Amino acid sequence: MNSFLACQLTLLLLNADAASIDFFEAKIRPVFIEHCEKCHGSSKQQGGFRLDSKDHFFKGSDSGPIFNPTKPLESKLLKLLHYQSELKMPPKGKLPDQVINDISEWIIKGAPWPADLKKNPNAIAIANQDHWAFKPIKKPAPPKIAQPSLANNEIDFFIQAKLEQNKVSLSPQADKRTLIRRVYFVLVGLPPTPQEVESFLNDSDPQAYPKLVNRLLDSPHFGERWARHWLDLARYADNRGYIGVGVDRTYPYAYTFRDWVIQSFNNDLPYDKFLTYQIAADNPKSGASKSDLAALGFFTVGRRFINNQNDIIDDRIDVLCRTTMGLTVTCARCHDHKYDPIPTKDYYSLYGVFASSQEPEDLPDLGLEGSGPEAQEFQLELAKLIKEKEKFETDNAEIKVKEPRKFSESIKPYDNRIKQLKSKHPGSPPKGMVLFDRPSPVEPVVFIRGNQGNRGPQVPRQFLEVVSGANRTPFKQGSGRLEAAQAIVAPQNTFTSRVWVNRVWAHVFGNPLVKTPSDFGVRSDPPSHPELLDFLASNLMEDHWSTKNLIRQMLLSSTFKQTSSPRSELQNNDPENSLLIRMNRRRLDFETMHDSMLAMAGTLEPAVGGRSVEMFTPPFSSKRALYAFIDRQNLPGVLRTFDFALPDTHSPQRFITSVPQQALYLLNSPFVQEQASKFTLRFTNTDDHFEKVQAMYRVALQRSPTKEEVSSALEFVEASGPDGFKQLGQVLLASNAFQFID
Amino acid sequence: MLNRRMMLERSAIGMGSLALGSMLQSANASEANPLAVRKPHFAAKAKRVIHLFMNGGPSHVDTFDPKPSLEKYAGKALPTDNPKTERKTGAAFPSPFKFQKYGQSGIEVSELFAKTAQHIDDMCIIRSMHANVPNHEPSLLLMNCGEARLIRPSMGSWLTYGLGTENQNLPGFIAMCPGGYPIQESQNWQAGFLPGIYQGTYIDTKQTEVNKLIENIRNKNLSLEKQRQQLDLLQKLNSLHAKDRLTDPILESRIQSFELAYRMQMDAADAFDVSKESKHVLEMYGPGVQARQILIARRLLERGVRFVQVWHGAGQPWDSHDDIEINHRRLAKECDQAIWALLSDLKQRGMLDDTLVIWGGEFGRTPTVELPTPGANAGKINGRDHNHHGFSMWLAGGGVKGGTIVGNTDEFGFAAQDNKVHVHDLHATMLQLLGFDHEKLTYRYAGRDFRLTDVHGRVVDDIIA
Repeated sequence: MNSFLACQLTLLLLNADAASIDFFEAKIRPVFIEHCEKCHGSSKQQGGFRLDSKDHFFKGSDSGPIFNPTKPLESKLLKLLHYQSELKMPPKGKLPDQVINDISEWIIKGAPWPADLKKNPNAIAIANQDHWAFKPIKKPAPPKIAQPSLANNEIDFFIQAKLEQNKVSLSPQADKRTLIRRVYFVLVGLPPTPQEVESFLNDSDPQAYPKLVNRLLDSPHFGERWARHWLDLARYADNRGYIGVGVDRTYPYAYTFRDWVIQSFNNDLPYDKFLTYQIAADNPKSGASKSDLAALGFFTVGRRFINNQNDIIDDRIDVLCRTTMGLTVTCARCHDHKYDPIPTKDYYSLYGVFASSQEPEDLPDLGLEGSGPEAQEFQLELAKLIKEKEKFETDNAEIKVKEPRKFSESIKPYDNRIKQLKSKHPGSPPKGMVLFDRPSPVEPVVFIRGNQGNRGPQVPRQFLEVVSGANRTPFKQGSGRLEAAQAIVAPQNTFTSRVWVNRVWAHVFGNPLVKTPSDFGVRSDPPSHPELLDFLASNLMEDHWSTKNLIRQMLLSSTFKQTSSPRSELQNNDPENSLLIRMNRRRLDFETMHDSMLAMAGTLEPAVGGRSVEMFTPPFSSKRALYAFIDRQNLPGVLRTFDFALPDTHSPQRFITSVPQQALYLLNSPFVQEQASKFTLRFTNTDDHFEKVQAMYRVALQRSPTKEEVSSALEFVEASGPDGFKQLGQVLLASNAFQFID
Repeated sequence: MLNRRMMLERSAIGMGSLALGSMLQSANASEANPLAVRKPHFAAKAKRVIHLFMNGGPSHVDTFDPKPSLEKYAGKALPTDNPKTERKTGAAFPSPFKFQKYGQSGIEVSELFAKTAQHIDDMCIIRSMHANVPNHEPSLLLMNCGEARLIRPSMGSWLTYGLGTENQNLPGFIAMCPGGYPIQESQNWQAGFLPGIYQGTYIDTKQTEVNKLIENIRNKNLSLEKQRQQLDLLQKLNSLHAKDRLTDPILESRIQSFELAYRMQMDAADAFDVSKESKHVLEMYGPGVQARQILIARRLLERGVRFVQVWHGAGQPWDSHDDIEINHRRLAKECDQAIWALLSDLKQRGMLDDTLVIWGGEFGRTPTVELPTPGANAGKINGRDHNHHGFSMWLAGGGVKGGTIVGNTDEFGFAAQDNKVHVHDLHATMLQLLGFDHEKLTYRYAGRDFRLTDVHGRVVDDIIA
């Protein structure tokens, strides 16, 4: 067809007459709605095609136009309907001939279709402006309350004000015995010893409680407890997941990331630096030191998806954006985010950042070379292996020249032995699982519908528009990771500080203010206490991003010190206790349970940090659960059973389930039985059964037993023979009193 | 030793049952127990599933999809190009096995499954299955989780999440594989981002002692009677603890979980103990580990387990790149009789009507012979490569239209041709039979509502009775 005729046809199209439109509305559109729109409409766009509007119809599918204006009868649509191509539409069965004839007739006329009703293109933008998490953080003044005497600090004003609106008040303050147990578990994840309880009870100083909080914030075990919260977000594991049979999957240095997180919490590394180092410690401008290189494990300890690069990058974008900002950016991998203002282009801007980063073949030392006997032993063994290798080289110098391939094969075992020693020996210098920038950064393109083979427009490496605004500038420094970090910790970022406050709040109080801690998008519920969230977020930034101060503020509030008994007042209106009329009662999670049992056994190892250890087979390690080697491919059953964080993807919150497999573990597992046995053996200094029961209670539950408890216990021991106390010990460890924090 | 009934009576006067009473009244009961029975979207035709997983990829042209045209080209190139599979394949390779018509429907099945074929009129053979790629790992994950690489819950996890389970004294989802894991390991029955309790409980059916089958199922130091006394003390202390704390469902559900655990010890021991079956039944299933695990599966289904997956063996047993005649014959012989027995047994017990039986691998095999590839096969030129373009699976029971064939492959059995059924479509259909609209059984995670079929899947009406 020549261009003149094409022109004519175009004119024809523009003048779609009323009759043709009627024909379309009567015969064609209903067919589209009935047979096509389920897969090609507003909710789904198979093949990138939809025909619920004129614009979309004429735009065509991912593989091109569906309608051919110059040769209408050769339009792809007709081929599909006639079942003439490999792709057949609709897939369930050919349309009746009459219907296909109608569509052909309509196509020949130039597919007359009335103009779409124009939606306001800014509708989404306007809706987004109203979403709370996109609004700037302003520091509100604490509200006035009727009973200011109940408040210990600003937090209480916000909480009590809401309670007063519901005509109720904070619960009374918990007794000191309850409080010390609660504070211990929140801060260090361990129970207090009877001596620690007694000295707190006997401390009549009005500052006794703040002193206790400060002491525990300074404890090296604080970092252990809080590191584990972070490792949930960072989907920490000690191996890369399935990458084939018989391939070593281990990450021998994942532990250096874990230990870095512990130390950062212990040192109260300001949260903005804490994030920046995890994103870009390799960049000298980040201010990080050599040992901070371990922080980059944040990206590299993830699953490797049989080494699929796109999936690895997707995982890194996900862990970055959900952890730091509660943004579900990976929804935009295949299409613009359905709810949040995150276009696919922004996803690929970040894709470019990670595609421009690489892991070096040889991981760098962290400059933390140990001294001590282990390090010496390592150096000796290393020297020995190097010597052996050198000897082999000298002995085979001839082969090396004549048969280089054979030589390089035969020397491999020597290299492997050195590698093994370095990665396994406890005295070997720790290395960081780093990311470095590639020498020349990658200019990313959009992969249409997430398909790498289907390349769309090029996009610059830059940050998300929803954070950095429409006037953002492309990244200039290498991969752009440092600039991304700077955008995340910028004071005007509306997410970062709120997200962190919300997470810390959840760990301290047992429930978050925003119910979806890793999704602050438009579908998230507003915070239960929006002003409080903003108040604390502003405070955090003013206070140089001190996490310890944030936690301290929460622990010193009257809200935290309340009793936890359910109250009838709000039970129907607020069954989840989001108004905090009482403290939340909590069950020990896997780690606190495991560690408490070791503490009861008296064998808990106090040393902080170190290589991951096998924790689930005898002989059992005495290290805290935090140091367990986490096999993400075949996660030990006990971890699954106790709702451990899935180490495959970022884990915003742990589930809390109560299932018989947990009880089976407490009743029958060799670990629990061993700890119960050791626990009981601590009380052999007395033969007096009554005294023994008293002492066991004081250690296990930090209180004396009631009369009824004593008589039940004694009766049981008497009836159970020589093993009675051991069984009683196990009962105490398995009891609700032990397993719950009031 | 106390019998089960006495045990139940005893525990009924213990603390746990009191707690159970108040827990059922509590609004949070289902929240507290993630495995409580839940209703699906609409009336279900199937209530439970057994998936016989022939891992490695059984050859469809040697089992359920006869291709006489291959004879014509035996040893010669096919007139059409061999589609791309994992490795190079060569000439047409007619099946060394004889096919024969069975039942009223007269559907042809090869001699490999001559016994199973006795039930052909209850079976729906899908001959137009297809998947995405010719590799084990992604195909296993696709078949189990509806996604080839990323972290997604497996179908058993979705079902226990959707339906809970009928017997709280046993795990709701059990994956059995003798001798170790299949390829891709426990990811095949992963719960993904669903709570860990929905993960399949793995059982190494090579073991015969019950305490080696399920973790912590036995106390090595205490008899059940002694343990009951210990548990009574525990529950007494727990009730004293609860007395000061008003009604708190989180305390009560934990009390209850101990009673369930106690019963699980007996029920599990009982469920896995095939020696309790009559001689007649044991003979019906035949000897060997396949027979034993398929019989165990029946016992589990009978006791209300929601989803049982029976894997043929560790690694990828059906992966006959070489010696397919010898290997397929051996593998089929290991399970044919037991599968026949399972179908007969379910039928006799009236369970076939609401039990969905699924048979298949992660893909099929090429109708052409695999060419020698050093390091990849033994170079015997008598095996078949992987084939995801077309393969067969069969369903039976639970609302399935028996004695039917759905779809077909091309003349030589290389690729699915008519009424193609993708793995997503199989999942959609399976969920439909179990009472779910596959687009509505969702779980919100990371800002998205996920489902087993992702953005795909169509219900294949021809499969449904």
